[in-house]
Amino acid sequence: MAIVFGTLGYRPKSLIPTLRSTKNVEKLVFYCGADRSEKEAVEKVAEARKEVLDYCAQMGIAADAIDLPDPFDFKGVSLRIRADIRRYKKQGKTIAVFNIAGGTRPTSSAALLACILEGIPTMYIHDITYEEIPLPFLRIEYSQVLSGEEKAILKVLRANRGKDITEVELAAMIKKHKATVNHHIKNLVAKGAVRLDRHPQDSRKRVVRIEESTDLLFGDDE
Amino acid sequence: MRTLVSTFTEGDDDKVLLAMRHLPYDGLVLLVVEDFEGPSLNRIRKLEGLSGHTVDIRTVEADGFMPMVDSISEELSALSFDKLKGSRNEILLNISGGSKIMGDAALLAAFRLGIEAYHCDEVVIKLPVLKGATAKDRFTELQVRLMGILADEEMPLGEVIKSMQPNNKASAERTIRELKKQGLLKSRAKDGKVLLTLSIEGREVARATRFSRRT
Repeated sequence: MAIVFGTLGYRPKSLIPTLRSTKNVEKLVFYCGADRSEKEAVEKVAEARKEVLDYCAQMGIAADAIDLPDPFDFKGVSLRIRADIRRYKKQGKTIAVFNIAGGTRPTSSAALLACILEGIPTMYIHDITYEEIPLPFLRIEYSQVLSGEEKAILKVLRANRGKDITEVELAAMIKKHKATVNHHIKNLVAKGAVRLDRHPQDSRKRVVRIEESTDLLFGDDE
Repeated sequence: MRTLVSTFTEGDDDKVLLAMRHLPYDGLVLLVVEDFEGPSLNRIRKLEGLSGHTVDIRTVEADGFMPMVDSISEELSALSFDKLKGSRNEILLNISGGSKIMGDAALLAAFRLGIEAYHCDEVVIKLPVLKGATAKDRFTELQVRLMGILADEEMPLGEVIKSMQPNNKASAERTIRELKKQGLLKSRAKDGKVLLTLSIEGREVARATRFSRRT
């Protein structure tokens, strides 16, 4: 049995074809939301949401409609979707596909990002023909590109964000030799996960700063 | 040279200005799906003009999602290399402009090529595109070469081995086995011949590595 994920805007037709084309769908999890200051948008999304839920009820498919508090918050939406995907993965569920065709622009992009990072098959629906377009990206779980030591360093840096930590201090914190830490930091700089800035008090020293993007790379629960 | 590239359509001037304010750049390129003139574009042109620069507008393929991903990849790949100086350009990509499909296509292209990417809409969010995690980095030169030979075609095994020369038959066969094991290559027998073709994932790797050559 499989779970289908999706984003929903005004048009149920951008989501329902994926339920028809996916084998043994057990559940649909979909994300929707509108700018709350725009009454018409809120009504249209609510109507589409109801239609999708009605369809699922008739077809005997469990459905979880997730109302996004801010569908324009790219980072927030991506972290939320990522956490949900991971939760289902931990339960041993198969995520058959994620349809990213509906919803606001940031919601769709945030869903695509979550799919790339979690290695989930992704689908787009053609605007006019409603034809499904599978996105053939490589199934790379990007967090696996980092070694265990690199992840450990990033974890310490995330926990100490805002502090000026040098490589020597970092080595002491993770109980590794400074040459070992220097090697891993070089790799992390090359991968774009950390950068070296001048120490604010001592220009001879360099502090290791984690890139903000690593929050999205790891998600909230790592 | 650092080039700021942004997906763009009318009404996206604030998103591009946010990217211009926060990301250091030497040249600005806007990716659009069709030629147009409008107040948003004029505003950006005027601001760039004040610093003595022009805005490079490039039109990308709009007919379908994957053609758009390929078209954006092509532009990013071309912008990554300075033909006159023979050196690499640094590319910063903002995916927040343009249509929904265009933003998603740009996001996919960024991951495909390992391009530094941002989502600039009220706040600037750097996307976690890890360098060294692209298709180009994951496959050996021989594997890439073989996938490039097959591309979208179905070819007899013998012909593939011949095309792999000066590499010998054993190394070509080993490469074929490696790609089959990874699900990137399929084979079938027809009229006493073994025919090879790339799987959907294999085709994506072939495309991605082709576009990655200059990045």
